[in-house]
Amino acid sequence: MLLPFVITAQGNRASDTEVIAVAERMYCPVCENIPLDECQTTACLEWKDEIAAQLAAGRTPQDVIDSFVARFGDHVVGVPQDPLIRALTFVLPALATLLALGAGLLTFRRFADSKKLSLERETVSGELSDASYRERLESDVRSLR
Amino acid sequence: MLAETGLAALTFAFALAVYAVAASALGGHKQLERWGRSGRNAALLTFPALLLATAMLVIALMTEQYQMSYVYSVTDPQTPALYRFTALWGSQRGSLLFWSLLMSLFAVAAIGLNWRGERRLMPFAIAFMMATLAFFLGLSLFLENPFERWWLLPQGAPGAQEVSSALIPPFAVTPSEAALRAGAQGLNPLLRHFGMVIHPPMLYLGFVGFTIPFSFAMAALAAGELSSGWIKATRRWSLIAWIFLSIGLILGGRWAYDVLGWGGYWGWDPVENAAFLPWLVGTAFIHSVIIQEKRGMLKLWNMLLVIATFSAVMFGTFATRSGVIESVHSFARSEVGFPMLAFWAVITLVALGLLLWRWGRGELSDERQFANLLSRESLFVLNNVVFIALFIAIFWGSFGLPILSELAFGKEVTIGAETFEFFVVPLFIAMYVLMGVAPLSAWGATSLPRLGAALRPPLLLTVLSILALALSGTGLLVATVGYGVALFAAYVALYEIYRGTKARRQALNESWPRALLALFRRNQRRYGGYIVHLGVTVIGIGIIGSTVFQTEVQHTLQRGDSIALRDYNLRFDDFIRAQAVDGRMMNITAVTLFRDGSEIARMRPRIDDYEQMPMTIAGAHSTLENDFYVLLIGGDSERATFRIYINPLVNLVWWGGILLIFGTVIAVYPKVTPAAGQRKREGTNG
Repeated sequence: MLLPFVITAQGNRASDTEVIAVAERMYCPVCENIPLDECQTTACLEWKDEIAAQLAAGRTPQDVIDSFVARFGDHVVGVPQDPLIRALTFVLPALATLLALGAGLLTFRRFADSKKLSLERETVSGELSDASYRERLESDVRSLR
Repeated sequence: MLAETGLAALTFAFALAVYAVAASALGGHKQLERWGRSGRNAALLTFPALLLATAMLVIALMTEQYQMSYVYSVTDPQTPALYRFTALWGSQRGSLLFWSLLMSLFAVAAIGLNWRGERRLMPFAIAFMMATLAFFLGLSLFLENPFERWWLLPQGAPGAQEVSSALIPPFAVTPSEAALRAGAQGLNPLLRHFGMVIHPPMLYLGFVGFTIPFSFAMAALAAGELSSGWIKATRRWSLIAWIFLSIGLILGGRWAYDVLGWGGYWGWDPVENAAFLPWLVGTAFIHSVIIQEKRGMLKLWNMLLVIATFSAVMFGTFATRSGVIESVHSFARSEVGFPMLAFWAVITLVALGLLLWRWGRGELSDERQFANLLSRESLFVLNNVVFIALFIAIFWGSFGLPILSELAFGKEVTIGAETFEFFVVPLFIAMYVLMGVAPLSAWGATSLPRLGAALRPPLLLTVLSILALALSGTGLLVATVGYGVALFAAYVALYEIYRGTKARRQALNESWPRALLALFRRNQRRYGGYIVHLGVTVIGIGIIGSTVFQTEVQHTLQRGDSIALRDYNLRFDDFIRAQAVDGRMMNITAVTLFRDGSEIARMRPRIDDYEQMPMTIAGAHSTLENDFYVLLIGGDSERATFRIYINPLVNLVWWGGILLIFGTVIAVYPKVTPAAGQRKREGTNG
């Protein structure tokens, strides 16, 4: 029994390595989240044959990927092509990270401010107590005279 | 008889767990000792009941009781004994029972170790542990019963001719044993690997292990005992859960590397990520609790983290078992989808509700406040921010966005490795930097010159290493930066161990080995932690090497021909087709590997042809320097197509994993104090 070949002939077709370079940027249409170059299902073998044919016909790797996205949808590639979904993919986690960092920094600043404020209060109350002590001391000295 | 006994034991365990919830909650709330004890005893009895139920299922699997539909679905007459046993967790129904058994085992151990010391917390903790157990037992009993049997309904009866039912349907008869043996389906071929023998139990132990700190945290909230007592009681449990989860993740990676046939070990697949998410937030938690113990700070944050960890465990379980990963629509078709989602939501809401209630009463205020941005506690908080950011990014990419896209826009999307790497690479760099800086900063506050002085030796070593790498031809900036930060964290860990040993040696005039041993004995958690950090840096170096510098090529060879790759040569010698004892057909190629003209290895990459699916088993020549990894793509006796990878430093991933486990074992290992040793001796003598 002959096992399936990814590339059945080497003639005027693209090389295996060229096909893999495109296939590793795409995903299996049947199995969930399995890169195309790694998948050995019949559908994937047919897709890889088609990639080889398209590359041999002179299309660039990006053209090949675009043609698959146009026919089968966004889920054949690892980065969503729809501008809105693409924006959501990248913006939301980045925003959440920045927000977390911002919240952390604000918390530190609040603690630092409250510490500064309490130090100022301590200093002011210290000065007041010093003044009242001095006043009491002077009045005691005066009374002794 | 096996099915009946198993079903009875399972039902009894479920009743005990439900009773334990009610009795413990009543005992804890009204402070009724008798009810608390009764709840405890019921909780303790769940373990023998579940052990009996599991034993019945294991005996059924080992003795080929194909009338039990679970045995029928995961084994066949050709299944070897080892895989008959591991088939216990080979599919949903068995793995739910196994999960419950482990949960009950952890609960029994937690009760045994903490009943005397944490009397106020224990009834509430038992109530939460048993509520979780009761939920999973309920799933086993009512939706995914492993003790269902095949029955044949008489002609003319409504419904299907063959039914699977735990109870005997009226007028039903037993199907013929020969027909059942002939139709038995066997274990999923992908699970017939040593990694899969250990990987699921490790993950389950990690998952159920986090139930213990969560239950104690909830008990602390319910009882109003909000000091750090619950953290001290569960410190080891958190680390034990973490170590099992880590082992599970590492073994999962190894299994993927050996069995899935794609030359890698981590693909950012949602199932992998579902197990990684609790690990991330759990790691943040085990760092953050140190601050509460040492400084009395971050009480609210630690509660949030333990809730998030447990919630991630429940969500991961739901996500992998419900079918939501395949599609948001297939989740609704799963038997356990809605109940799991409901339990996850309810338990998370109850936990958050309790937390908000105590917080609103001002009972979670910290004993100290952050004094300086340059302090160990501040850097630990930054470390937490990094882990939470990783958690958010990975959760969003794996579940949030795909579900939103399908529900809101009607579009299926795949979030691939390149998208995940966009977020995680800078965050992991930040993690390594913090892993280096934080241990050298002081509690409370540290000055920049003082921190700079402490950082000088490891930084100097890092710069020298980077220069050495640059001179050796490692030209890629991303790899140099990656190696730099990983090495920096490693040097800090080694420098701290060196400093501590040197100080002991000078102060106590000890030899180097004795001082080193005493240092680890004296502060197991801290120095075990440094070994864990070393393990993480070794893993990091392995990941950078095997991803950035991986070489990959696919080529078709005629028999006797060779292909050259770097300084290696691979020759295709032979093609053999054979049948294994379990019935699968194997397409085996014999190849010889040469390096610089000398033969260094003979390998047999093959494709195992199971009835349902082919499995690609790689041939690999492993050294610490790299793996020469060969996959057979297809072929016959004359020619064969091979996919060949050279994966530099990939074995450091596994060695780093072993180091990480070793470090955690040091940190967790019970401390033998001289006083305890004395007491033990006195006890023996007396």
